[in-house]
Amino acid sequence: MVVADYLLAALVAVLVGLDRVALAQFMISRPLVAAPLVGWVLGNPLVGLEVGMLLELLWLGRLPVGAAIPPDDTQVAVAATVMALSMQSAHGLSGMPLVILCVLFAIPLGKFGQVFERLARCFNDRLAVNGQTYLLSGDFRRAGKMHLLGVASFAVASLATATVIVLLGSLVLHTVAPFLIGAVREAGLSLQYSLIVVGAAALLGTVNVHRGVSLFTAAFSGTLLVLWLR
Amino acid sequence: MKVRRLPWPVFLSMFCRSFLLQASWNFERLQNLGFFYLVLPGLRSIYGTSLTAETCARYGEYFNTHPYFAPLVAGTTLRIEQERLAGGDTPVDVETYKATVMAPFAAMGDAFFWGGLRPLAAIVAMLIALQGSLWAPVVFLALFNLPHLIFRASGLLFGYFLELRAIDMVQRCRLPDLAIRLKESTTVLLGVLCAYLSYNGCEHQAISAAWGFVVLPVVLLFAWLAHKGVSSLFMVLLTTTSLLLLALVF
Repeated sequence: MVVADYLLAALVAVLVGLDRVALAQFMISRPLVAAPLVGWVLGNPLVGLEVGMLLELLWLGRLPVGAAIPPDDTQVAVAATVMALSMQSAHGLSGMPLVILCVLFAIPLGKFGQVFERLARCFNDRLAVNGQTYLLSGDFRRAGKMHLLGVASFAVASLATATVIVLLGSLVLHTVAPFLIGAVREAGLSLQYSLIVVGAAALLGTVNVHRGVSLFTAAFSGTLLVLWLR
Repeated sequence: MKVRRLPWPVFLSMFCRSFLLQASWNFERLQNLGFFYLVLPGLRSIYGTSLTAETCARYGEYFNTHPYFAPLVAGTTLRIEQERLAGGDTPVDVETYKATVMAPFAAMGDAFFWGGLRPLAAIVAMLIALQGSLWAPVVFLALFNLPHLIFRASGLLFGYFLELRAIDMVQRCRLPDLAIRLKESTTVLLGVLCAYLSYNGCEHQAISAAWGFVVLPVVLLFAWLAHKGVSSLFMVLLTTTSLLLLALVF
């Protein structure tokens, strides 16, 4: 990967990061969309799709309600894709084990996203005060500008999160990947599926449906029986 | 006195601005500045050059609702503004209306869009993604955004044209009931997804698919842990560490 690739990835990171709160909320910020998007920009959307699949369900049940800030799964997805593609070109490693390793190292770093987003929202407190002052003085254009300036703070937060995850994650990965990749390859498919299943369980635990366990058990058993007996 | 309808370009401008509602989201007053930014074209159209800071101050107060419901609230508040300016008698003023509806609308929107529609669209897309198809993100975006965009656009128009009757319309949509149905569908599809993964895992290990049933209590245990507040991060670390250790030992 060359510098231009990292710049393109940064651009995508900002774009999808803004979709989380500040802009539109078309859900291009979901890992299943953001990761293939950055993968596509960097020339390998399938790696992004694999990253997105592993991460999509993990924090899906954490609702962005009011002042609650869920871990930044968007930048985790973007950064894990960038890390996987950079490791691919730097060490010649490839395949699902590498993707799993990148995702595993990126997930804990998603906490940084919460910190940066909190800072962005705190910065916006000042914008809101200034905007209110302009509004009360009848300068509506400037009040609107104060509002739009908030996009910049969210953009900086997204970029900072992606950068920190990629830098820290890559630093650790470049050191330990050659040692761990064998074990990850050994665990293989079970590791990949277990990540998705943990995400599914986390979602099931937070979805709060009456008879949820019965519905899940019936669907699980029915499907497995059909697949087994067909 | 008859109220003059707002010009269509104003509605279009407000619709576009609704995508920036949360641009300056802040802890102190949440979406206040965003809501003012959203209704500004409407206020300018209603008051023209006589738009005062006093009028706009009504929109600088604390405001927080679901972002997709904001156009609906904006449409109704502008209609109240027009009615009041025309000397009509409205049962509530702008501040009271906003304060009354924002929390219930937020709860409905969170339950329907975040808690119902989004997980369902994601699970459907996941089932497609497991086949290695790049259509998965496209399907997810289409499933989610079709209702989302229809709701945003129609919310603005219904809010404006139906005024306070828009609340009845929202009630008639029975969004909380729909959200429950969506969540139930999500739960069923989660079962299908987990069963499919278990079956594939068994097939890959060349063992009987009956072993796939072992996954069921594990998923239910993790779901219970998640329900009790155990973080996903902890569960991921626990699972992967166990599997990696098993891989290293055997």
